[in-house]
Amino acid sequence: MNVAEKPVIAPESLIGQRIQKKDAPEKAAGKTRYIQDMIVPGVLHAKILRSSRVHAKIKSIDTSAAKALPGVHVVLTAADVPDQQPIGVARDHLPLKGERVRSLRDEIAAVAADSEEIAEAALRLIRVEYEDLPIVATPEDAIKPGAPLIHPVPLAADGQPKALPPKTPIAFAGKPDNIAMRFDYTHGDVAQAEAESDVVVEDTFQLHYVTHCCMGVSGVIAEFDASGNLLMYSNTQVPFLHKREFAEYLNIDPSRVRIIQPPIGGGFGSKLDIYPFEVICIFLARAAKRPVKMVFTREEEFLASPTRQPVLLTLRSGCKKDGTLTFRQVHTLHDNGAYTSWGATTPFVMMQTFSSLYRVPACDYHTTVVYTNNPYAGSFRGYGNLQATFAIEQHMDMLAEKIGMDPLNFRIKNAQDAGEVTGQGMSFKSCGFKECLTTAAERSDYRKKHADNLANRDAPGPVKRGIGMASMLHVGGGAKIYPSDGCGTILKLDDFANVTLITGASEIGQGSETVLSQLVCEELGLPISAVTVVNNDTAITPWDVGVHASRTTFIAGNSAIGAARKAKAKILAAAAKKHGCDEAMLDLRGGFVVVAETGEPVVELARLMRNLHFSDKAELVMTTFYYEPPSVHQDKGFKGDVSAAYAWATQVVEVEVDTDTGIVKMTKVTGTHDVGRVLNRLGLEGQIEGGVVMGQGYALTENLIVENGVTRNPNFRDYKLVTAPEIPEMDITFVESMDGEGPQGAKGVGEAPSICIAAAAANAIYNATGVRIFGLPFTPEAVYRALRGKAEKPNWQAWKSA
Amino acid sequence: MSLKHDIEFTLNGVTKRLTVDVTMNALDMLRDVVGLTGTKYGCGEGECGACTVRVDGETRNSCLMFAVDLDGRDIVTIEGLAADPKADALRDAFVEHGAVQCGFCTPGMVMQAAHILDTNPDADANAIKRGLEGNLCRCTGYKKIVDAVESACCGGR
Amino acid sequence: MTAIERYAAPQSLDEALGILQQGEVTILAGGTDLMPQTKAGRVAFKPTLMNIGRVAGLKGVTLDGQHLRIGALTTISELLRDPLVAQHAPVLAEACDHFASDQIRNAGTLGGNINNASPAGDTLVPLIVLDTEVELASKPNGSVATRRMPLAEFFTGPGRTKRNANELLTAVRIPLPKPGHVARFYKFGTRPALDISTISIGIAGVMRDGTLTNTRVAFGAVAPTPVRAPRTEAALEGRRLDAGAIEAAADAARDEVNPIDDIRASAWYRKELIHNMTKRMLDHVAQA
Repeated sequence: MNVAEKPVIAPESLIGQRIQKKDAPEKAAGKTRYIQDMIVPGVLHAKILRSSRVHAKIKSIDTSAAKALPGVHVVLTAADVPDQQPIGVARDHLPLKGERVRSLRDEIAAVAADSEEIAEAALRLIRVEYEDLPIVATPEDAIKPGAPLIHPVPLAADGQPKALPPKTPIAFAGKPDNIAMRFDYTHGDVAQAEAESDVVVEDTFQLHYVTHCCMGVSGVIAEFDASGNLLMYSNTQVPFLHKREFAEYLNIDPSRVRIIQPPIGGGFGSKLDIYPFEVICIFLARAAKRPVKMVFTREEEFLASPTRQPVLLTLRSGCKKDGTLTFRQVHTLHDNGAYTSWGATTPFVMMQTFSSLYRVPACDYHTTVVYTNNPYAGSFRGYGNLQATFAIEQHMDMLAEKIGMDPLNFRIKNAQDAGEVTGQGMSFKSCGFKECLTTAAERSDYRKKHADNLANRDAPGPVKRGIGMASMLHVGGGAKIYPSDGCGTILKLDDFANVTLITGASEIGQGSETVLSQLVCEELGLPISAVTVVNNDTAITPWDVGVHASRTTFIAGNSAIGAARKAKAKILAAAAKKHGCDEAMLDLRGGFVVVAETGEPVVELARLMRNLHFSDKAELVMTTFYYEPPSVHQDKGFKGDVSAAYAWATQVVEVEVDTDTGIVKMTKVTGTHDVGRVLNRLGLEGQIEGGVVMGQGYALTENLIVENGVTRNPNFRDYKLVTAPEIPEMDITFVESMDGEGPQGAKGVGEAPSICIAAAAANAIYNATGVRIFGLPFTPEAVYRALRGKAEKPNWQAWKSA
Repeated sequence: MSLKHDIEFTLNGVTKRLTVDVTMNALDMLRDVVGLTGTKYGCGEGECGACTVRVDGETRNSCLMFAVDLDGRDIVTIEGLAADPKADALRDAFVEHGAVQCGFCTPGMVMQAAHILDTNPDADANAIKRGLEGNLCRCTGYKKIVDAVESACCGGR
Repeated sequence: MTAIERYAAPQSLDEALGILQQGEVTILAGGTDLMPQTKAGRVAFKPTLMNIGRVAGLKGVTLDGQHLRIGALTTISELLRDPLVAQHAPVLAEACDHFASDQIRNAGTLGGNINNASPAGDTLVPLIVLDTEVELASKPNGSVATRRMPLAEFFTGPGRTKRNANELLTAVRIPLPKPGHVARFYKFGTRPALDISTISIGIAGVMRDGTLTNTRVAFGAVAPTPVRAPRTEAALEGRRLDAGAIEAAADAARDEVNPIDDIRASAWYRKELIHNMTKRMLDHVAQA
């Protein structure tokens, strides 16, 4: 179009709009190829033989019959990979187990064959001889004196501990006790604060196993090229960290590892760690000299993918009669399972909630993470915060009731404000907490319903109504855990003013491609359709720490904006030069360079791009940016401003409790989230709604039943995800606190919506029935038992065992 | 090796002749033998709906169907539905209403949603939720999926 | 590995019965139970796999004198929308509405649900309280023979029935309801469907002047098979359905069931549910 024909272009913003997800049309047409759908020429199919014993020594493994089966290419056991290195957060986990199995999921052998059926048939031909060992089924048992050791220190021939070089990983050096990790945090003087308290409550809470249940099961494809370079098709959420780690395990240079991420069928934190199957697939590919693909069955997914961290938690809280919080004292026992993954490190997040969700002058927090023969816990959306919030928000209601104060007023009195620096060193530059509290309460008519329900508790009829609230604090501006918490962006514009956005940030279904495109288009005055996102190949994309800690919109968003602003400056300077005007007067709108004040078009952007390209100067617009948030690492006492921004939310849950059956129906959730600023309203709502329902599942239905080391319900039939007819009415609103560091003012929100639901549901059940339940989930039988006074209250002698 | 059997059926409007293992399920046949991967494996036990296809006008979990039982039947998968202009409005509704996140459940959801529209064009939100009760989604919390289907009912009332 | 030597898809009952007579046959109807059971190795294939889906005459609901006759291949979805079922056996339609999911209802057949003989089978409890008979056909001597049996006597254990290996379940027959007939069904669950029953309850009878006669009570998922509850029935039969009778029946129900603990519920809780929900259902009957 000729500039002369183009009318004045008014400024338009994409921020806060409902932007359709860029990948949605492909997905809705069934055209998206996930890792399960990928075919690599010459690929072999792999399966893993897992332990049939919970805890045992392996006496012998006979793979001869499996190796002889036609169509079998490779059979591997630990003996075949003497160079295998331990994986996991504590380096306590060898992918293939040769001497001992410590849980039912343990990998003993693996087969690569022409087809999955042949690989499965080969597994059935492998003979393993075990010698059973006593099972450590609970964390309480694990710390009893004389408890069987999960990772015993290996002994030399003389019966003495083997002499090993210092820093030998636990996988080889063992552990003289079952303690995997400890976390101790304190601020203020708890003893004095308790002495000044008018009211003190103490309870023990029990949090159960749940698992991610990504609709796409785990899978990986590994292949080596002729030069020994590794190419992996992986579902990982942290490709750059894994690239480095895989190189370490293989003892090769990281530059020889390339990770391509096909679209992922759900993440939620499950793909933050390296798991044995991935390393085993690499071993198989190396041995077979062929590409090898491994995809789980759903049963395997339940048995052998990570869980949310189960926690036993004793909380002691106090306040004064006027409603001022005085102290919190927390002891938790984390069931690590047999190996250490990210679940063990959830105290990083849990202690933030205890120390800093409300203003509390003294906080003392202790976690002991212990090995058992159970499945091991990984990272899962919310990262310990669901567990911490479950305890703390029940205590907020209990303290308020004890001092006769309205529970909402009690919360408002103690809620954080902007400008606060907490005992843990978190600095709240933007904080919409009080607005979240009052908005959610008003929209749900909390005060009136709370009072009405109390009055109706003893009214006739089996169904009781309840309302309860809970609030949360979570990192919203990344989390400085690794040496860098940054993300890189490469941006290029082509001759037609189309943008390729090359970002380190992965799309895991959450909508990052769309929101990053939106932020770039906001700067460049282009429609979303002008952007192509490249985000899934470590050989192309710049570094990013990965999708975790609700950081992508914030960190990758700032990075994308940085690159776009550089491009914009370049474009405006070129336009100013060519058209003889002041670049400070220009702006980009609707695909044109315009005069900012009048909206009058100066030149079509595509034309300008071509002019630049095909002129004597022969220039392209290509920019790069790396964003590192201004957060700091915590010190040894876990203090420090670890995130560039913090997100807040209040959720009010309404329930109906059928006292004849114990069935709790979640009828409504009113949620108000301080998101900094709404960027893509459609995507944001989707994240919140999905998180609320995930929280509903955690509260009411989901339960991975682990008994004596055995997962009893490895299927959707008995695991019970929430289904469509069960969802509550949802009223979701946003507080825009306009964070100064956030991209367009926004803060991270990915994890936030799941965090409060169980805690709010507990308070709602109490409001309905007068019965407080300290353990999850609120399944009908658990609730019915509690209503009949037959529930076993979690009873952990935290102070004794600590 | 297990017994094989010849079958002939209509797949997305085209006659297809295949020889299949008599124990093979229709899902594996579609994905591994025919090579149409839009139909997803989610659980293999009929609990998640990711493998939903239309058989003789009714939706079924393809993981629970014996491939040999397709003989003589009329099968439509997400690939067939996506090629049908009548389904464009439904797909657009999924996109417009934010009903897609990771997208793994989406083909099954779209298949089942199309069946709801076919059999109960006046379905309200509750009927839609009931119609989708066999389709699990871990990302969206279902609300936007229900909104999308509701908007496509009655051509978006 | 399977040992299937023959796949057959007969078109007629005669042909199907002939194949059955030769022995060692796995019967495939909707497949919704057979596929997962064989995949998981809980059920082994026999040398012949016979798909009865194309056998003529085994599908549909008809009136047969004073009975409702339902062909074994009638799917759960078809029952759910069948006008005759809605009119004469609405409690069966109600149970079908709680059955699995739409996709499974479209595939699963009534005959399959009966022959699978799960103690938690959703249609079984309402069929039992409706005095349903099963119709079994065989071809022992070259000609087709049929016999009938009350469904309440059909089950012998989980997955086991009195159907002989050479017999095919062809239909069920439900007597048309007498005037004043009432029937109620309850399936415990946190969702409308897609749930294995923790307990289910069926109650039927003829209600006249506040008094229940011809009382039938059956429970699902509290025993190795769905069961009639004779002591509960006796506590109700011929009595005025007042608060005392209802409480006595609910107590009898709790006392006469003998469920087990499993991952879905404890025995104690199942007994409590049986008591509370029997009472609630009878309250509703009394108030209706």
